Amino acid sequence: MIDPSHGGYDTGANFGGKLLEKDITLKLARELRKELEERGIASRMLRDSDVDVALDRRAEITNEQHAGIYIALHAGRPGRGVRVYTPRLVDPQPPAAGRFLPWESAQAASLDRSKAAAQAIVDELRKKDLTVATLGIPIRPLNNIIMPAVAVELAPEGDDVQSLESPKRNSGIVSAIASAIAQMRGQMGARP
Amino acid sequence: MIPRHFQITMALVLLAILTSGLVIARLTHREEAITLRAADAAPVAPLVAGKQEHIQLLVAYDDDQALRWRPADVFLPADRGLRAKETLRSVLAQYLQNPSPHPLARGADIRDVYFIGADTLIVDTTAQFADGHPSGILLEEMTLASLIETLAANVPGVNKVKFLVEGKERETLAGHADLMSFYQTAAVHELAKEFK
Repeated sequence: MIDPSHGGYDTGANFGGKLLEKDITLKLARELRKELEERGIASRMLRDSDVDVALDRRAEITNEQHAGIYIALHAGRPGRGVRVYTPRLVDPQPPAAGRFLPWESAQAASLDRSKAAAQAIVDELRKKDLTVATLGIPIRPLNNIIMPAVAVELAPEGDDVQSLESPKRNSGIVSAIASAIAQMRGQMGARP
Repeated sequence: MIPRHFQITMALVLLAILTSGLVIARLTHREEAITLRAADAAPVAPLVAGKQEHIQLLVAYDDDQALRWRPADVFLPADRGLRAKETLRSVLAQYLQNPSPHPLARGADIRDVYFIGADTLIVDTTAQFADGHPSGILLEEMTLASLIETLAANVPGVNKVKFLVEGKERETLAGHADLMSFYQTAAVHELAKEFK
């Protein structure tokens, strides 16, 4: 499941002028979908137009679809290169009885697989000579997702915000993410 | 009989005095307004009450994407709630100065804090704290981590922290960092380590 973060009234970060995070993530998501299709990997996007989808709804759709992996795409300052984030449970709850999971820590059982997926993406990005940092953080809706979940954030190259739209750079990034997903494919419980 | 030229001179003098008075009154009023506006925009400062303490604040530095401890002399009341509030405001004061290591919007402040039980702190922030916060995963996480870690270091017994905005729950700080969860200070301590 590819999540182009933000959309509609939720513009995300504003990089000055008309360059908005919601537009950058949508464009990148479409490129990633195409790259995955070329590798024979089925994927879905949580939005394919400029619409607002609530964070909880994004997690619900992903969980309902039994996706093999959830990749959220972001763009933001500061720094440079690419940052790969894994979920971090800030208020872990004990497993509930029966089939229900605590919403705020639904990710708990998949945390190790999320970290493995993030590491695979980091390795592939580094092969493309990109500056990469990795961090575990509590951003929504990663903790509400029951399968491996990773967020990838593009940072502008210093003050050059136009670098966020660089076709060459972005092509390298989506290619690296797709390669990592292809590698992980056998380890994923469900699709793709 | 008063000469006509003397009458005209007197009238002009009276008119000049009246005009000067009006101008002075208006200038004084404008000066007061400017002073009031400046006071509103000034960075939050700790109350001058309680005992001055030498504490450590965990401050976010955007340029190197790091959190670093910085000493500060702060007047802290004995009451735990007030102590928590002034500790948080001391961190925000670092961000509201110019130049700032991690700029926040003017008006970003703590409205109130209160405890639920002995160890859970609810922090109610102003609308400007969230509405004017720069959007970005790292920027938002650095703000929350610096506030929570500074609280944990200076207010004993705080194990969980939850943020509100103008008294209400909000999903995220500025589109990314989770504001719905209760943050365990121990978990944030691990996060803060990664920023150092």
